[in-house]
Amino acid sequence: MSERREFDVIDAAARTLRSPVVVDPAAKQRLVAALRDSPVPRVGAGRRAWHWIARPRPVMVSPLWTAAAAVLIMIGVFRAAIGWERTGEQPAAVPPAPGGPAVAAASNLHAVQFVLVAPGAASVALVGDFNGWDTGETPLAPSASGGLWSVEVPLAPGRHVYSFVVDGRRWIPDPSAARAPDSDFGTPSSVVLVGERSL
Amino acid sequence: MNDAALVRRVLDGDSDAFTVLVDRYYDRYARYAVHMLGNREDAEEALQDAFLRAYRALPRYQERERFGAWLFRLLVNRCRTSAVRRRRRESVVVVSDDIASLGAVTRPAVEDAAWREELSRALESLPAEQREAFLLKHVEDLSYEEMAAITGVGISALKMRVKRACTRLRELLQEAQSVGTS
Repeated sequence: MSERREFDVIDAAARTLRSPVVVDPAAKQRLVAALRDSPVPRVGAGRRAWHWIARPRPVMVSPLWTAAAAVLIMIGVFRAAIGWERTGEQPAAVPPAPGGPAVAAASNLHAVQFVLVAPGAASVALVGDFNGWDTGETPLAPSASGGLWSVEVPLAPGRHVYSFVVDGRRWIPDPSAARAPDSDFGTPSSVVLVGERSL
Repeated sequence: MNDAALVRRVLDGDSDAFTVLVDRYYDRYARYAVHMLGNREDAEEALQDAFLRAYRALPRYQERERFGAWLFRLLVNRCRTSAVRRRRRESVVVVSDDIASLGAVTRPAVEDAAWREELSRALESLPAEQREAFLLKHVEDLSYEEMAAITGVGISALKMRVKRACTRLRELLQEAQSVGTS
């Protein structure tokens, strides 16, 4: 319920900000006057030729030519396949099966446990580049005594930046981890390195 | 006439064709500049500068990119520079009075004028990077890919900025609401 109300505040703010702003018409006139005083931009002959070549433009092709081209391509592919069968030759690179890399990546995940001591907290969430900084995605579970919050997250090898969000509003870095050097705005994040050698 | 054709006309010597582009984009981009910089004077200066830069750099413009997106990138960069160097000025309420016409809006239970003022103040109090990310995402309605192309910042960092901006805005606006209704 609280999430819904919070969403509405942001939604209402965005809608209000999307309404047009009133600008001084004189400002636009000053701009037009300044443009008139500026020299007309000119393009050199070489650049003009390049623009002509590089300019995207619609190309008209009849369906007949398109069909003919498709048939030729199919014949080419068929002949190449027959050639490989006869000679036993195989293409040098076999494209991976769909989902192959994903499966490999999934088997490469490492379980990482995140722990925060926050005795007075009502809720703690983990946010990071691995969950799109979504405060609702990875909540931490409290211990029986309520002071220790933890969650285990499968992460791919590499560098991950993260932070904790206490009670849905307070962003704090992990006190036991290295700070991210690219943290900004006075609310720093932490870094975890996941990989074969770091675990 | 589309933007690319107008640009070609300018480059062929018809400078008036650029004023069509000014008419097409000025008001639309004024909204971003005003909200980003917090006052109209700075916004008008940034707009003028961005349009003039675009005009002078027109020979280097590549048609592979939409003219509007190219111009907007110049404006976003110009607003960044301005936000860094501008003097602290008295906060001005910059949100338009026209919002009364948006009947379907879910609006907090406070008076419109007070809401606009609170919103303006809350936006002003965000760090420039978070304000920029919030406006691009939630007001200009850009995708993270488009935002990354415009700002040169990574998608993950942009998501973090938007999240933090939303968290801070919620805090400030809900606090203001609870004060206003108590």
